[in-house]
Amino acid sequence: MNEYFDSERFIEDIPKILPQLSVTFSIVGISIFLGTILGIIVAVLRIKNIPILHQILGIYISFMRGTPLLVQMMIAFYGIPLLIWNLFQININDWSPVVFVDIAFILNEGAFLGEIFRSSILAVDSIQTEAGYSIGMTKTQTFLRIVLPQSIRMILPSYGVDIIGVFQNTSLVFTVGGVLDIMGRAKTIGTATGHTLEAYLVVAFTFVIISLILRFVFYLINEKIRYESKIKVDKRKKHIENL
Amino acid sequence: MAFDLENFLKSLQEAINYLPVTIKLTVVTFVFSLIIGSVIAIIRNYNIPLLSEFFAFFVTVYNGLPLMVALVIYNLLYMNYYSRIASFFHISKAISDISPIYVGYFALIMSSSCIYSETIRGALKSIDKLQYEAGYSIGLNKFQTLRRIIIPQLIPVALPGLTNNLVGTIKGSNLVSAIGILEVMGGAITPCAISYSYLEGYLAAAVVYWGFSAALEFLIKRGEHYGTRYRRSLA
Amino acid sequence: MIEITNLKKSFGKHEVLKDVSLKIKKGEVVTIIGPSGSGKTTFLRCINFLEKADDGKLTIGDISVDLKKTKKKEILNVRRKTAFVFQNYGLFSHKTAIQNVMEGLVVVKKIPRDEAKRIGENVLDWVGLLDKKDYYPSQLSGGQQQRVGIARAVALDPEVILFDEPTSALDPELVGETLDVIKKVAKKGITMVVVTHEMAFAEEVSNKVIFMDGGKVVEEGTPKEIFMRPKEERTKEFLSRFITKDMYYI
Repeated sequence: MNEYFDSERFIEDIPKILPQLSVTFSIVGISIFLGTILGIIVAVLRIKNIPILHQILGIYISFMRGTPLLVQMMIAFYGIPLLIWNLFQININDWSPVVFVDIAFILNEGAFLGEIFRSSILAVDSIQTEAGYSIGMTKTQTFLRIVLPQSIRMILPSYGVDIIGVFQNTSLVFTVGGVLDIMGRAKTIGTATGHTLEAYLVVAFTFVIISLILRFVFYLINEKIRYESKIKVDKRKKHIENL
Repeated sequence: MAFDLENFLKSLQEAINYLPVTIKLTVVTFVFSLIIGSVIAIIRNYNIPLLSEFFAFFVTVYNGLPLMVALVIYNLLYMNYYSRIASFFHISKAISDISPIYVGYFALIMSSSCIYSETIRGALKSIDKLQYEAGYSIGLNKFQTLRRIIIPQLIPVALPGLTNNLVGTIKGSNLVSAIGILEVMGGAITPCAISYSYLEGYLAAAVVYWGFSAALEFLIKRGEHYGTRYRRSLA
Repeated sequence: MIEITNLKKSFGKHEVLKDVSLKIKKGEVVTIIGPSGSGKTTFLRCINFLEKADDGKLTIGDISVDLKKTKKKEILNVRRKTAFVFQNYGLFSHKTAIQNVMEGLVVVKKIPRDEAKRIGENVLDWVGLLDKKDYYPSQLSGGQQQRVGIARAVALDPEVILFDEPTSALDPELVGETLDVIKKVAKKGITMVVVTHEMAFAEEVSNKVIFMDGGKVVEEGTPKEIFMRPKEERTKEFLSRFITKDMYYI
């Protein structure tokens, strides 16, 4: 196996591999979007402390946090068709493996984000909720309009870090039934041409560069949020002085 | 198709047989990365010229490289360049005699060191400057202050983050299966090739990983409770 | 004897200390008063190198240091001859009161543990906190923490103890007990430099009062001279905020 690095092959591989980013981003997008919704639901349910449900969710969160993503994806890949067959007698074995990967990612995100959201929602000062009730808002209104926005503000840095983590976790999906993301493509180039090093290096660079870009973007967003809250505080101070 | 308990138990058995591999990978990585990560965090905290900038750059960039990609690349480089490196260091063993696990350790330690250094650095930043000054004011030098005043206060602050990181390392150790090393998951699915009961195999692996990380988290929480007894006021 | 000559310090473009000189005799209690921003805290912190002055000379006992270029060893030597009491107490949060007091004795002065313990307990008793010796800072009130801080400083038997607004962070009820302990320290004959806003305390306890403003020493003299017959306009202006008319006459 001749693995000496050849920069020409490296350049050639780039246009072959990058298009598969669409698969990568679709996984990231779907799992973040649905995972966030799931996370908020999980957080709210946990905060309400409904008996039995609280424990079940606790087990779910513990499981997702304590087991490797690779194992979770495989369990989804082999287990969900089995489950669907037993419940609905439908055979989904020929569905694209990406679906199972998405499901695993969504469940994973739901657990992690659920915990993050739960702590940030609880961290919002109870005086905020009291203020909401005192002007006549319902519980739901208070939650959605007062508490949740403030908790999201608090959570933004962690949320950003989590998103970058999901992006990097897609490096695992190629092991599940040949999902063709950038890693998967690099592997197929390897089996086809016998030269894998350059392809994987393209993948490595892609991950690093996009991660750095994402980090920078979140940094800017965080700074803007902090700046905005400072402006709000200053405005309020001026307002009080002017009274 | 149905869930086969017998095959599940068979896989569970095999998974537990390979638990020592996972434990070794986790513990060795944790210890080395803790040391390296602490050194990096301290260098960056005290702004030591050159080194501090170098590590800031290196950690930021390396954190962008997923462990899986790193493992695969290191493995390729290892297999290809082994003969060259071996003759350079005058090692006479053939590549098949040396376990690829060292590639695994290398990748795990590199990745974990960067991650731990960020956690430790964050905790270090949170310690009031006043504590440093109080140490200097009674005549302690920088090293003494670090060792006797700062680090003892650093540990309870960093512990939750590091516990999280440790669980991450446990899960990271799972990835070495991609370069052919048998750990808990690899062990769990070896019986599956014959019986085709992969679901049972992966579930068994999940159970063992779950138990291991839960046990470790419990132990650390206990230790944390003991170590932070000074922080809780009498009220 | 402590002498500071021509100390200068700037933070970036802002010149905080313009040329400050001070002579302190052994056993003297010197109080530094002045408006915020006058540089008095910065000056105090320069003495034990918590801030590094840009220029000047510092002499403590038999050590003399050129502040323009000080070597690490010199800084350590100075710190070993001085002690500092912080506005925000500065106790080691992970150590009990007795451990806080013992820390400098054992590690810096290399005094054997049992003797250090003996000294520590004596000093804690002296400030009235022997029964709290095994308590952690988080379990003590602000005033108690500050007294432990003072005990820690006294136990080191330094050439001079520097106090940085020792009562400014305390609730009013706790100020009294802390001032009493500081008065005790003064009575003991220990050389002290105290930055404070407590004028009555300054008048009662100090041998010399320094008024600083805008990074310079505006006036210095005995408490009687400064509080009752201030010479400079700025001094009078500053004091008028604290002292009622019948306490000073022009």
